[in-house]
Amino acid sequence: MASAAVADGRSVNQAITKPPQSLWVDAWHRLSRNKAAMFGLALILLFFFLAIFGPMLAPHDPLKINSGKGFLPPAWMPAAWVSTDNVGDPQFFLGTDSIGRDVFSRLIYGARVSMVVAIIPTIFITFFGILIGIVAGFFGGTADNLLMRFTDIVYSFPDILFFVVVMFALRDTPIGDWGNGLILLFGALALVNWVGVARVVRGSTLSIKEKEFVEAARSIGTSDRNIMQKHILPNILSPIIIITAFAVPRLIIAEAVLGYLGLGLRPGTSSKEFFVTSWGSMLLEGQTAINAQPWMLLAPAIAVALVVMGFTFFGDGLRDALDPRMRGTG
Amino acid sequence: MARFLIRRLLWLIPVMFVVAIITFVLMHMAPGGPFDKDPSQRQVDAVTQKALNAQFGLDKEEWLDFAALSKGDIVGFFDTQFFTYMIGGTVKGQWRCGFICGNLGLSFRQRGLTVQDIVLKPPEGKAPWDSKAGYSLRLGLLALFFAMLIGVPLGVVSALRQNTPVDYASLFIATSGVTVPNFVFGIFLIIIFAVFLHAVPVVPTSWDSPLVWILPTIVLGFGLLAQTARLTRASMLEVMRQDYIRTARAKGLGERVVVWRHMLKNALIPVVTIMGPALAGLITGSFIIETMFAFPGWGRQFVTAIQQRDYSMILATTLIFALLIQIANMTVDLIYTFLDPRIKVN
Amino acid sequence: MKKSALFAIIAVFVALVVVACGTPAAPPAVVQTSAPVIQTQIVEKVQTGAPVVQTQVVEKVQTVVVEATAAPAAKEKVLRINLGSYPDIVDPQKSSFVNEIAHLNLIYEGLTKFNEKLETVPGAAESWKYNDKATELTFQLRPGLKYSDGSLLNAARYKYSLMRNIDPHTAGEYAAITDEIAGAPEWRGADLSTISDEDLAKLQATVSESVAALDASGQPCKEGADGYAQEDCLTLKLTLSRPAPYFHTIMGIWVSYPAKQENIEAGGDIWWTSPKYQIGNGPFILKNMEPFVRARFEPNANYWGDKAKVPIEYAYITDSAVAFQAYKNNEFDIIGLAAEDLETVKADATLSKEANIYPGSCTFAVMFHQKKEPFTDQKVREAFAMALDRDGWVKDVLRGLGAPTLTWIPPGYPGYKASDSWGFDPDAAKKAIADSTYGSVDKLPEITDTFSDTPRNRTRNEWLVSKWKEVLGVDVKLNPVESTTYTALTKDQATAPQMFILGWCADYPDQQNWLSVYWKTGGFGERIAYSNPDFDKLVDEADQTVDPAKRADLYQQAQDLLIKGAPVAFMWNNVNSYLVKPWVTGLQLTPQDAGWAGAQVPTSIDIDASKMPSQ
Repeated sequence: MASAAVADGRSVNQAITKPPQSLWVDAWHRLSRNKAAMFGLALILLFFFLAIFGPMLAPHDPLKINSGKGFLPPAWMPAAWVSTDNVGDPQFFLGTDSIGRDVFSRLIYGARVSMVVAIIPTIFITFFGILIGIVAGFFGGTADNLLMRFTDIVYSFPDILFFVVVMFALRDTPIGDWGNGLILLFGALALVNWVGVARVVRGSTLSIKEKEFVEAARSIGTSDRNIMQKHILPNILSPIIIITAFAVPRLIIAEAVLGYLGLGLRPGTSSKEFFVTSWGSMLLEGQTAINAQPWMLLAPAIAVALVVMGFTFFGDGLRDALDPRMRGTG
Repeated sequence: MARFLIRRLLWLIPVMFVVAIITFVLMHMAPGGPFDKDPSQRQVDAVTQKALNAQFGLDKEEWLDFAALSKGDIVGFFDTQFFTYMIGGTVKGQWRCGFICGNLGLSFRQRGLTVQDIVLKPPEGKAPWDSKAGYSLRLGLLALFFAMLIGVPLGVVSALRQNTPVDYASLFIATSGVTVPNFVFGIFLIIIFAVFLHAVPVVPTSWDSPLVWILPTIVLGFGLLAQTARLTRASMLEVMRQDYIRTARAKGLGERVVVWRHMLKNALIPVVTIMGPALAGLITGSFIIETMFAFPGWGRQFVTAIQQRDYSMILATTLIFALLIQIANMTVDLIYTFLDPRIKVN
Repeated sequence: MKKSALFAIIAVFVALVVVACGTPAAPPAVVQTSAPVIQTQIVEKVQTGAPVVQTQVVEKVQTVVVEATAAPAAKEKVLRINLGSYPDIVDPQKSSFVNEIAHLNLIYEGLTKFNEKLETVPGAAESWKYNDKATELTFQLRPGLKYSDGSLLNAARYKYSLMRNIDPHTAGEYAAITDEIAGAPEWRGADLSTISDEDLAKLQATVSESVAALDASGQPCKEGADGYAQEDCLTLKLTLSRPAPYFHTIMGIWVSYPAKQENIEAGGDIWWTSPKYQIGNGPFILKNMEPFVRARFEPNANYWGDKAKVPIEYAYITDSAVAFQAYKNNEFDIIGLAAEDLETVKADATLSKEANIYPGSCTFAVMFHQKKEPFTDQKVREAFAMALDRDGWVKDVLRGLGAPTLTWIPPGYPGYKASDSWGFDPDAAKKAIADSTYGSVDKLPEITDTFSDTPRNRTRNEWLVSKWKEVLGVDVKLNPVESTTYTALTKDQATAPQMFILGWCADYPDQQNWLSVYWKTGGFGERIAYSNPDFDKLVDEADQTVDPAKRADLYQQAQDLLIKGAPVAFMWNNVNSYLVKPWVTGLQLTPQDAGWAGAQVPTSIDIDASKMPSQ
């Protein structure tokens, strides 16, 4: 296609005229020019902001039960079911849930769990996945075999069973208590989900390690560790970032499903606690009430969608920016 | 090649055993037992519980019966819950072969039925693919076809027309497949297609017509579709910039040939990686979809079994799942070699 | 490109067709004919002050379900019910769950049954008599009773079922309910791994004597297959180990339903899954049962009583939102109405007329563990009970689907008496804390509210906890646990939590089921360590009293005693809430309805086809 040739042609010229820049500065330049990625970053930052400053922004106490005001529709709508006594109360921007708690405030507080779920287990998953995947793919042979069988075992056994045991057995311990069971949840989620990353990393490693530049590096005596770190890793960033970006919504939704099965966070009893409710629990509560107050379901669904979109666009931009082949372009 | 296959098949056995051990340990660590019913129901009294335990072999030792060993009873030493299930042991006084003979055990909840009956046997007078396993298999395959058929071309087109509205549109579709949880997606689809458009019934009376399979397939497959599209796109973008593509073009090869013969094969590698386990995951059924559409598959069975502590069902389905994953991964590794001849399978 | 794309498309299409159209013979379900229907809708315009009638032409087209059936059937009269979850087992001597009972009640019938007023009336037995001391109960069966396949039904069959219920090999989950039969607890509790064959045979023989099938002259009926064919074997004499004048009511529940021995033996452990073997004597025949999809029942022409008028179909959708959509789409005639959908229903002109909400058969209470502090102190229990705004609970949490209660037995059941003890009184609640051994809220130990973790339960318990905080100022910790774990915990006194919500639903309409079975020492109240010797005495006496008035009075005294001690905080009675289509007629609603509205008396139900929407 003509455009690719032109792009390449342009890059050659620019590489000659521009002074050399580090990978990261280069990448940042490209990233900042990618509108979608910046939009994504803005979304992420917005939700982090909400998570941290929630209490100041939420109009109501997320746990306050407003007697007699259950299932109110959002302030701008007449009720989903037409009735004279219940119309949207301007106090409650997105309406109320089954016992009269403000959906909008709960949404803001719920951001905390989701943002934290997005980050912490993901770090572990990525770290372990990459480590094991690269080692397996690079060394091959017995190491590969053993590691892959290990991932098979982890992959095969039922996560739910694992969650039941972990959540119950450790729930009453100090670890279980912290953050209403959040740490426990993370640990369990991380332990179960790193396998997908490992497999993809291994696959890409297998493919990269046969390339000429790896051979070249080997031939000049580069240590295995350096090869893996400096040659292979940067080149397999692409699928890693994609898989990681997809891990985030999966984790957020996994939290919801776990709540459904009785294995999620303990509900907060006081709004002074850090983790009071989560989008996952809101989704589940909203699902049964879809005929009465659809916004109980729509609000967290849209929130999840926005966060995920943010991470996805940003991840895409990141990949595009970091791609060594794109160095010097744009 | 043959050696590779045989070695992988041999590896199946220890892996399955380890999975069985871990599952067994976890199962019994989870508090409560199969006769602890839903709190809204009446519970079994102590005498009946004892009788039931005896009937189902729950009064045996879990791993190894040392009491029997001390009496010099070697057979009794191994006549424990774990070995009885996996290899064989006494069931109601008689010796019966276990899992390795294909006997998946008696269900603890659905009394009288064996797990094979529940999961693999079709209802009276119907064909084998009308069993629970059969239904889930069919739905899984359909979802996979759906995901690949739409996801791959979407990703390819997206990559070839990068940063154009086409790209953004397909990215949006792909992303929405992952951002919206499948139970939300499912219920909205039901409302749109069944309630507003009356295109399909909300609750199918029978699963024999192809029409009623459409919604569950879409809901099940959409997530994978999104992943596939994105992965294909990323992969294609990667491959597109490779030198050999430039060479191919320089040689004067037509664009179509370049895309098909050179780009696609290499771009599909990461896609193929996720296909294997994804298919296994799809086939083992999705609890949420089966509940929502009242789909008679085995995904719901599996999750309910864990909740109900139906030990045989849990063990059996976990082991089958493990087997499917293994086979899926084996197939994926094989396909690798076709796609990239430089990867040697050793 | 074109060729391979074409090939791919064809391959996919073939795969789709092959995969989805699996079975060769498609069973003809209800075929929806497709035709554009011109409907006249009357639209009222209120703004002009006078209603204006407008005719709207609405086209409703429904797609044809592609099936290889013959001519389209006329609109079939079937009662389509969404039952909820699929039964684990449909075996009279092994079932215990309300959905399982819903199946059994259609296929079989017991010696007695309950009418729409929940009175015990003759079923398969036309009469019964107790001896003076109420230690012997003799049933006289109707002559000429038949199973749905035409074979004879006599007392020998009922003897077999009762024996099977008590047999330790069966390990029936409700077997304990017939423990009043002489010899039953001993035989049932025999340790099969250690007992010798002779001892076991002896125990069985004792029970066999207590459950005697007799012919017209009072002689035992013949054994085995001859006995089943014996036409004059119509008397069943039960010998009870102690006076039990309520036993005829127990004989109305499913544990004595007469499944056929030959069928059970022929079918083996899975006999119950096949309509071939589920031959019963009830108003319906099981036509087919597709697990987790449908079950179909046809009227039984061989039933002795009022014949059923329409076939019944059960579906097993557990997602209430989906079931509601299906109901609105006219795919179901009766579904359960969930609390979340109540507003939508009440506000809709059509749906609000279709809602049937009537008293249920359960009472729920907040249980306090009598042996775990601080609930060892009665004053603390009283305080917590009086801090509960039950009206607010019913209004906000249950959304009106329930009724507050301060007593144990629910309205509509024999023995019901309203109470006003320990009702909502914030001041008295605070005073009770002050009067207790702790003196003030700060001195109370940590209190945890344990519950099975579902979204519904969460909101419920969060509400409770916030109310206790509001009235008493006490911080109760929330402890959600996984549902099976919850059951395991609450089963045993040692592990039972400090505080948890639990309910009891009637098995049969008699005070004995509510008071003796539950609260007597050693009964279900044992879990929270409730034991009151005075209560035991009253209840024991009442159990054995024959005179109905005296009996009722004794039970009343026992119930009063129970309430006075404030062992638990009685909270609410449930209601049965169902949506029923207007063309379903003849429903008789009782609190004991198992699974669907009118289930207790299914034979009176009919469908008025003229009221159904034309397709």
